[in-house]
Amino acid sequence: MEKSNDSTQPQELSFTWKALNKVGIKNKQQRQADRESDPVYQRIDTHAMTLVISQGRLSAKRLEKSQKVGKILAIIFTYVFLGVMSLIVLLPFYWMLITSLKSNTEIRSDVQTFWPRVVMWSNYVTVFKHFDFGTYLTNTLIVGVLSTIGTLITTIFAAFAFARLEFKGKNVLFAILLATMMIPGEMMVITNYITVANFGWLTSKTGAFTAMIVPFWISVFYIYLLRQNFLQIPNELYLAAKVDGKSDWEYLWKVMVPLSAPTLISIFILKLMGAWNSYVWPNLVADQQEWRLITNGLRQTAFVVEGTSDPDYGLQMAATVVVTVPLLLLFIFFRKYIMRGVGRAGIKG
Amino acid sequence: MVKKNNWKAWLYLAPVIILMAVFTFYPLINTIGISFLKNYNYLTATSDGFTFDNYGYVLGIVPKVYTSGGQTFYLYFTDVIQKALPNTLFITFVTVPISVLISLLISVGLNSIKWFKKFLQTIFFVPYVTNAIAVGMVFGVIFADKGLWNYIFQLGQQHWIDASKDGLPSDWGHAMFALCFYIIWHSLPFKILIFLSGLQNIDKQYYDAAKIDSAGRVKTFWKITVPLLSPQILYVMITSFIAAFKEYNSVIGLFGADNAGWYTGSHDLYTIVYYVYDCISDGNVQLGAAAAVMLFIIIMLFTAIQFWVSKKRVHY
Amino acid sequence: MEIRLKNLTKVFPGDKKKGIPDTIAVNNLDVVVPDGKLLGLLGPSGCGKSTTLYMIAGLLEPTSGEIWFGDEEVTRLSPERRGIGLVFQNYALYPHMTVYDNVAFPLTNLRIEEPVLEPDKVKQGQIMADFDAKIAAIEKENSTLDKKKDEGKINANKTEIKHLKSLCRYEMAQAGTPKVDNDGRPLMAKRRLSKDEIDKIVRETAQVVQIEQYLERKPNQLSGGQQQRVAIARALVKKPKVLLLDEPLSNLDARLRLQTREEIRRIQKETGITTVFVTHDQEEAMSISDEIVVMKLGIEQQRDVPQAVYNNPVNRFVANFLGTPPISMFKGRIKDNKIYIGQDMVREITEKKVADQDCTVGIRPEGIIVDPQGSFSFQVERILTMGRDIMLIVKHPDSLNDIKFLVDAFTKVGVGEVRANVKPHKCFAFSLDGSEERIV
Repeated sequence: MEKSNDSTQPQELSFTWKALNKVGIKNKQQRQADRESDPVYQRIDTHAMTLVISQGRLSAKRLEKSQKVGKILAIIFTYVFLGVMSLIVLLPFYWMLITSLKSNTEIRSDVQTFWPRVVMWSNYVTVFKHFDFGTYLTNTLIVGVLSTIGTLITTIFAAFAFARLEFKGKNVLFAILLATMMIPGEMMVITNYITVANFGWLTSKTGAFTAMIVPFWISVFYIYLLRQNFLQIPNELYLAAKVDGKSDWEYLWKVMVPLSAPTLISIFILKLMGAWNSYVWPNLVADQQEWRLITNGLRQTAFVVEGTSDPDYGLQMAATVVVTVPLLLLFIFFRKYIMRGVGRAGIKG
Repeated sequence: MVKKNNWKAWLYLAPVIILMAVFTFYPLINTIGISFLKNYNYLTATSDGFTFDNYGYVLGIVPKVYTSGGQTFYLYFTDVIQKALPNTLFITFVTVPISVLISLLISVGLNSIKWFKKFLQTIFFVPYVTNAIAVGMVFGVIFADKGLWNYIFQLGQQHWIDASKDGLPSDWGHAMFALCFYIIWHSLPFKILIFLSGLQNIDKQYYDAAKIDSAGRVKTFWKITVPLLSPQILYVMITSFIAAFKEYNSVIGLFGADNAGWYTGSHDLYTIVYYVYDCISDGNVQLGAAAAVMLFIIIMLFTAIQFWVSKKRVHY
Repeated sequence: MEIRLKNLTKVFPGDKKKGIPDTIAVNNLDVVVPDGKLLGLLGPSGCGKSTTLYMIAGLLEPTSGEIWFGDEEVTRLSPERRGIGLVFQNYALYPHMTVYDNVAFPLTNLRIEEPVLEPDKVKQGQIMADFDAKIAAIEKENSTLDKKKDEGKINANKTEIKHLKSLCRYEMAQAGTPKVDNDGRPLMAKRRLSKDEIDKIVRETAQVVQIEQYLERKPNQLSGGQQQRVAIARALVKKPKVLLLDEPLSNLDARLRLQTREEIRRIQKETGITTVFVTHDQEEAMSISDEIVVMKLGIEQQRDVPQAVYNNPVNRFVANFLGTPPISMFKGRIKDNKIYIGQDMVREITEKKVADQDCTVGIRPEGIIVDPQGSFSFQVERILTMGRDIMLIVKHPDSLNDIKFLVDAFTKVGVGEVRANVKPHKCFAFSLDGSEERIV
């Protein structure tokens, strides 16, 4: 690690530097030598210098005052900044809610109101009655829960294998898996579409659901996450279990899984949210509109005012609320798990 | 005690390996393969042979040749080169730096306050748990002709995203503004979370030392905080770049799915991914494949560049 | 710069809900550090010494009391504005900067104060003409030289011209009279330090602590001792009025500790900066401090020059804390102005009249002289030869801790019962009440 930039040893100039010197560019040592030979540099009297803070030589009392003022200003500024930012962050949600409760005429009027003049609960009723949202909800729940459970199982198995078991090619395989995280999903979509078509899954409702569930039973990110967690469980427990004659299987389910419960909950919730938010793939594989999921329904239903082709924003927003609120509820109750799962990614980088 | 070569491990890994083989490794190779096939028919899995033309066509170099009524037409497809690619690049190079800077400031602010810290943290995280498309539609309402944005800023009936009925479409600039605004808004939570956890890992002693060294707040931020945060900044930049390049959901959310809006219909606000999915629904799978491979290559390229740049600037 | 701590108190609030009481870390500390002196704050962990140091630095705010630097009260002043240097226990070197940048960093935040000059145009004109002439002469010489053969001389002349130009600019800037304000005091202006100035100061400071060859390295490429010297350089580079060191030697290995101890002393004497340093190692404090303050649980126990603290401990705690091996303690009694351990009279009290009482008797390890007719008897269990001295491991029925005595290597002594005389000035009696003050 010894970089020979140590200034005490004179260096032989390399070929590149010799060339650069000809054009007038010098290396660090040369520049330092130049600097030290400059007569002005030599005249610098470091002992005669008076060094002061940037506020000069003000008395301590004056400095204290300005420091107090500065501190208060900084705090006020920070809170104002954060306040404004958080308003910007929250405003769309508020707007979504109240728009969903407004009548169409109110929405389209020239003046925007911040509280509905007439509260239209009927928008929600319409959304469910006329626009099939019940179906979409059920579809999404089925697909979501099944794909999440499947993922949990495969992830537990794989993480266990990588964390606790020894086998040839373990590190290579893990590295390959990690590498696949870098590949954009779009590369796989096309072929997967063909594959599921060839499996004949596109022609029936169950088939479409299968297509929406099975390919997503794996997630390398969650395997990585769970493996980290498993690795933190002391190996001694494993050895002790072995001595007790327990098989790997028992150890996995009776010891490791309960100990990793928080991470598993994180994975469950994040995966469920992912399924809830999916749009592209269901759009491709679910041929019939009734087979589709909630986000598809949201975007693809034309919420129009009766008898016209004008979009009815009230209905649109009501539908959006229906799609968004469950996630918000999940967030409120499981905030810790969600944020921890996402945050883990950043620490290792 | 622990077996050196536990074959049972493969049993545990079986589900993952099988699924990955079918849905990840095979498609990867297959997609690349398809991109080189002429007139690929996915139903019958037949094609007319090997060609570079798909790439050529997507890049707007190689035309589609039509003969009709005895005449030969050459159709050059420029939507990707002239619209999707520039749009995607614009989105990436505009939203990533701005959102990184804003989220950095917010994180530093959050880290420095005492009261309401947890509360504000939670608020800033909310956009992450919502559906990009759903909230995109909300922004669609906000940016509508008679929407909140125009009202707050007294802009009359400025078109942002709506196709107009009276024949005056909104221009690319306004539509892109709305899109970028939304994308930045949506991408803040993840960044804030990463930065905040990175900030909390910085030893407080460095700040004490900086105080003793008479460094003011701003100086400390640029010379101490940011360099010590550079691993997180790098991570965020790389993931943000990749995500911005793949932007699709936001466009769908804001402008609509079935080319109902002028913008996506005339492809003015096209992105590369949007094109890929269009190809699939049109059945031109080989073109989509070519575009996807190009996307992959661009992403790899930028990631490599970022790593190279990071060698000097990132301190671990 | 004299430091003055007046009734300094720091209370850390507890948590009423959890039943954690308030902690009084520093209790009414009153200390003066004269200008240019080195004060050691000594005590076990938790005694409040680091807290005191951090209050002097400004990183902690005192609950009550005052801190004065010279004739200015700085109690509530933020650390940025106090003009102090602090060497952290863990050095706190900025890991992402080179050693050079670490040391230069404080300088980038400070300004130079200089008198404002009214330019003397006449003088400036003269200087300019002067230099122009010199430069012209050299240029003339250059034009007569052969480009190829005398390339070296030509380049040397070019450099000379550059130097002359720079020198000219410098002298022109200096040619002027200092402006004064209405009261006749010179007007001062602040400016940033130039890169050259920073460079010079950094290199000079590096020389003082001997780290010149590490300037281009990063902190993680240095050993502990080297890192510490960099930390010291960073603290000194800004010519602070006060230098603070927080357990500077505790992270170093034994050999390095001795060496660095001397370094710190030397640097302090050379620069003459008022210094306060914190340590739990009494040997350290004894060897380099001008004055020691011994602290226990936030309260000052004794303040004096090191030898005095050792020779005249004010209470049992101080006596116990200083000295290696530690002082030997016994149960004892004072009767008729004599100190007894068991039946043996170990010391006659001559300086004053003391009431009869039970007490704790302390005898310094070097405080006995083996004498077959001695008044004090004890059992020697083991003998350790330590080259210069012999250490006696002793057992005594009235002992309160491990009894160890040191005698010189020529003493004839063996395992078993030994009699000795106690040197009176090495024998102390401590009261049995809470304060355990020294009786005599």
